[in-house]
Amino acid sequence: MLQNSACGFGQVALSALLASQSPTFASEVSPQPLAPKRPHFAPRFKRIIFLFMWGGPSHVDFFDPKPLLNQREGQSLAGSSVGVEKKDLGKLLGSPFRFAQHGEGGVWMSELFPNLSQQADKLCVIRSLHTEGSAHGEALLRLHTGQANLVRPSVGAWASYGLGSENDNLPAFITISPPRGHGGVQNYGSAFLPAIHQGTAIGSAEIPIKQARVSHVGNARIDHARQRDQLDLVQTLNRQHLQRAGEDQSLEGLIANYELAFRMQSTIPQVMNLDDETQETLGLYGIGAEPTENFGRQCLLARKFAEAGVRYIQVSTDYTWDHHKQVQSGSIAEAAKVDVPIAGLLTDLGRRGLLEDTLVLWGAEFGRTPTVENGDGRNHHPQGFTMWMAGGGVQGGLTYGATDEFGYRPVENPVHMHDLHATLLYGLGLDHERLTYRHAGRDFRLTDVHGRVVSELWA
Amino acid sequence: MLPHARVMAWFCGCALCLSSFASRADDVQDAPQDAPQDERAVAYFETHIRPLLARHCYQCHSERAGEREGDLLLDRRSGWLAGGESGASVIPGDVDGSLLIRAVKYEDPDLEMPPSQPLKAAEIEHLEQWVRMGAPGPSDGQVVVVDDPSDPVAGKKHWAFQPLQNATVPEVDDQAWPRTTIDRYVLAGLEQAGLRPVEDASPRELARRLSFQLNGLPPTAYMLDELEATVDDPTDWEHQVEQQVNQLLAAPQFGQRWGRHWLDLARYADSNGLDENFLFREAWRYRNWVIDAINADLRFDRFLTEQLAGDLLPFDSIEQRDSQRIAAGFLVVGPKVLLGVPLEQQRMDVADEHIDTLGRAILGQTLGCARCHDHKFDPVPTADYYALAGIFTSTRVMENRHMLNQQRLMEQLVGLGEAGSEKDDAYEAYWRKQPDLKKRKGPAEQILKSLEENELQKFARLLEKDAEAVAELAKDETKAIEERIAAQRALLAEVKESLAHPLPIPPRAMVPSEVEEPADEAIRLAGQYDALGDKVPRGFLTVLSDNSSPEIAQDASGRLALAQWLTNAESRSGQLAARVLANRIWQHLMGRGLVRTVDNFGRTGEPSSHPELLDYLARRLIDSGWSIKQLVREIATSRTFGLSSRYVADSYAHDPDNQLLWRAHRRRLEPEAIRDAMLVAAGGLDLTQYESTVDYLGDQATAVGANKVRRRTDFPCRSVYLPVIRNDLPEIFEAFDFTNPHTSTGARPKTIVPTQGLFMLNDEFVMATAESTARRILAESPTDNTAAQVELMFALVCGDAPTQNESTAVIDYLQHTQASLTEDGMEEPEVRTWTLACHALFASSRFQFVQ
Repeated sequence: MLQNSACGFGQVALSALLASQSPTFASEVSPQPLAPKRPHFAPRFKRIIFLFMWGGPSHVDFFDPKPLLNQREGQSLAGSSVGVEKKDLGKLLGSPFRFAQHGEGGVWMSELFPNLSQQADKLCVIRSLHTEGSAHGEALLRLHTGQANLVRPSVGAWASYGLGSENDNLPAFITISPPRGHGGVQNYGSAFLPAIHQGTAIGSAEIPIKQARVSHVGNARIDHARQRDQLDLVQTLNRQHLQRAGEDQSLEGLIANYELAFRMQSTIPQVMNLDDETQETLGLYGIGAEPTENFGRQCLLARKFAEAGVRYIQVSTDYTWDHHKQVQSGSIAEAAKVDVPIAGLLTDLGRRGLLEDTLVLWGAEFGRTPTVENGDGRNHHPQGFTMWMAGGGVQGGLTYGATDEFGYRPVENPVHMHDLHATLLYGLGLDHERLTYRHAGRDFRLTDVHGRVVSELWA
Repeated sequence: MLPHARVMAWFCGCALCLSSFASRADDVQDAPQDAPQDERAVAYFETHIRPLLARHCYQCHSERAGEREGDLLLDRRSGWLAGGESGASVIPGDVDGSLLIRAVKYEDPDLEMPPSQPLKAAEIEHLEQWVRMGAPGPSDGQVVVVDDPSDPVAGKKHWAFQPLQNATVPEVDDQAWPRTTIDRYVLAGLEQAGLRPVEDASPRELARRLSFQLNGLPPTAYMLDELEATVDDPTDWEHQVEQQVNQLLAAPQFGQRWGRHWLDLARYADSNGLDENFLFREAWRYRNWVIDAINADLRFDRFLTEQLAGDLLPFDSIEQRDSQRIAAGFLVVGPKVLLGVPLEQQRMDVADEHIDTLGRAILGQTLGCARCHDHKFDPVPTADYYALAGIFTSTRVMENRHMLNQQRLMEQLVGLGEAGSEKDDAYEAYWRKQPDLKKRKGPAEQILKSLEENELQKFARLLEKDAEAVAELAKDETKAIEERIAAQRALLAEVKESLAHPLPIPPRAMVPSEVEEPADEAIRLAGQYDALGDKVPRGFLTVLSDNSSPEIAQDASGRLALAQWLTNAESRSGQLAARVLANRIWQHLMGRGLVRTVDNFGRTGEPSSHPELLDYLARRLIDSGWSIKQLVREIATSRTFGLSSRYVADSYAHDPDNQLLWRAHRRRLEPEAIRDAMLVAAGGLDLTQYESTVDYLGDQATAVGANKVRRRTDFPCRSVYLPVIRNDLPEIFEAFDFTNPHTSTGARPKTIVPTQGLFMLNDEFVMATAESTARRILAESPTDNTAAQVELMFALVCGDAPTQNESTAVIDYLQHTQASLTEDGMEEPEVRTWTLACHALFASSRFQFVQ
């Protein structure tokens, strides 16, 4: 019902782009910036749901078992044993969690994700991620935009720019509960891409999703009918103005945009309304129970937006994964909040036939050190960590890449953050070297001059 | 051959610049005799091979790069035939036997070229085909010539680097139309294209345009009346327009509007942004300095000098010293990645940010491109970049300061006023020792108690543990116990007193300084901060320099010399700066620059639509003593400025972009003007200068985690004084294309997107302001005359009278809405009705656009 309703972004923004380009001049001037665009080649999937664990889960406690850590707990990790100049990297900290292989693919997971592990054969676990940025801010910006000291468009904005929206009445990029810190809006911004590609935020990380609203959608002062009537007056004045002005694309754009805004304002609450969901579905996501209520709702919203044709959906936890102390109890607590909801999301997407063309990505800005901090915590670790994918045609049950015996850094099939970005675009049918935007005199791309597509993730 | 000596690490933040190597077909001489010499082969080399070699190989295998890895040169036919340490690289006709082909195919793990990344399959095929063709290339002894766009000598020919031309004012056929010299230049262009300018704007249109462009506010009723009264007499009219322009120039609101234009370029903000969004508590002083300087019409050459080196200039008074220092805050307000970055990298990143800002804002150049390699399009070799970098790395903009309970490397602050630096030192010292005091308080109390209760054993234990919490005299067992108790009491009182009365923040400002030992910077290979190349003496862009360029003293950063270089009106550098500024002034008044890419006067920018006019304006700027106000006056009183924005089908068909200026550009108001004009309509705008609007915020500028305090936007001040928190802009700024304050921006984006519609329809501020406007209308106009009320509404909101159709539409809306609200039993139906109508008018294009 929501997809492809008549007349949409189309007329909108002829002007949006034309007018916006007077300073920068787009490399591709499209009269319909959010109209679906043809990808560069056959896509593997149509959309992405990124489940972002803000703070950085400990890969060696979740997906990357390292028995040596337990054997040598308390002993110093010499830099030389992991190819690092620094002499002593600190004392090793073992993982208290039991690991087992799951499913036919034998994916290793710890006991922290008992529900997700039942769907291990949907997961394609990448254990060789690496990035730069040993502090959250830099690492978040690199995760979301590929850059830290310069303002660059986020992955979702590039996806929106490259492919447009499948739904006339919704933005192509929605971010559910985004962080306000560590780069904040920059992490879902459009930077120099036209503003239409910027992520639309629903609430922010510290606000329970139940209370979250999209700002300026909905009006407490007047009801729908009266607002429509008021808008009719606005549009009458606008049209009279346009008539007097003759040809004017920005006035035409303004008029079209009011109609679109009005439709968006009905569509967004419609999608966000969970009343039509069955008890069984709510239960599947852990909604109505703690500690899964909040993340469950976020995941269910993600499914609904995916269903409605949104191209890139990010779901963020609060800043709760940064376990400098008590990594053990912290991991238990955080895992309990997301395990059921994520498993529910995969099940629900699967039974609705959405998992085939939706990629679910799980991960964070970095992992955590194999060494101890503050007695029982772990520090930031961008040198090597784990993310996983599911759906979108990736090989379920596959474990790709490996870190060394300490989980310190990748020794097999390393996947840099730029490689991940190149791969995400590839999955959407976009060549990361060809998806460019001309700004300040030259062409920019998400991966700068880097990026390797990890096509091995698909059979 | 080809050892893995050097991995090419292209690390440049500069996508795709590699693929743009230009090559020129006319450089290749006759092919050598031993190669099949035909045009097809030469064309093949030109089309497929030369760009490929240039892009992937010459970094390490060419004379120009000064690199001959593995003793192999690939920039000449003899080079690839002779090969290097591993033998012949190419055997003409023998694909399988040619080492080059094996290397690019990554067949031998010891011989993989290029080392960073294999070539694409198509490129390898081209190389194979080329070998099959006999590896044609330039004749013996000839080197493959690759265009070098970064060559500063050849680069002088680019129009923007040429001295200002003194063209004669062009002749025009229609002698009656032009009012000023500007008009003659514009009309000449139109006449040449067979076009005519449209008629003049109506007095109301012109009043609105002048008032918004010069002061960022809607016109006053007085101004409207004055202009309307003289429209019929051309002489009076001209005089009146000039009068109005002068008044707008003299109003303090001019600086509030035009200061903001500079603040966009200065990437001004009240917080750091990027990774850690710490508050810039003192940035507002710089903001207000800019506004005041524009109002005082400070000569722009002086303005620029103070921006870059205000802290180094002589002064006659403390006030002058402080003012100049605050001006140099320009160098400190940039965003920086604060955490987790190696110090040396941070130093280079900060300098890069300075170079980028300087390049864009003052010279219209994309200098940042030359950080990792010679500029791919413009005559800026990497050496020039690092010559500038040395100036900025010899400038200190960060210092260790107390913040959020720890010492952090933050933006540098300097105390203001008579004993400013002492007060600043005392403040910092206090906060350095405050955690210590906190720690001492508890033990000091316990120790006092042990003395008072005469438990000397306990005292001894405590003394051992917390010696620093014990008064010296109290330690002395030879003294009487009363004396020891008194001493300990005094110490405790002192600690408590100090904790109870933390030192307040002294007046200070963001100010740079010279580092202790200014030094030249080394080129960083591929832009990597720790890969040092040759040192480059501090200096300026070669393409814009000559014998007159100032020298940089050894013990100085070179900022002062840089400012001299940029403002010397006799030099190419100063003249480029004048062109860039003149173009910006034109852009802000007319809606678009003569060079539309206002921040890019390089080869990838657009050339000027009216080159002679641009040079004329730049010359006028210089001749007037770099007076911004005078140039604004000259443009704003021109007939060109006062044209109508009416659509004319024929002219539109010929020049749809209005490049030739046959009419005025219709413009959307900026978010500041939208907000300020709404407040004016409601009668609630405070025009006075504000100081800080962020002083209630903690050190964390964004409400995040435990910190719940967020920037406020509910001040009745002009929008220029609202908080500019990077990554948390006021919603109206975010919706209506405010500048991105992370980056120097000369032309804000101009988008029309649905979020703007949502904002106008639903924002509480918009509705509250509409309500105030409605109440004002009801109070100020006769309630029995709806048409008069509607006229007042249009006058307040649009500075214009409604057309008959508009009036009819609004009256109809008012009637049926009030009837329906009354029927629904709503309170104050009349106020509600008028509120909805005012809200609708704010939302309409009538309000949001300037004709």
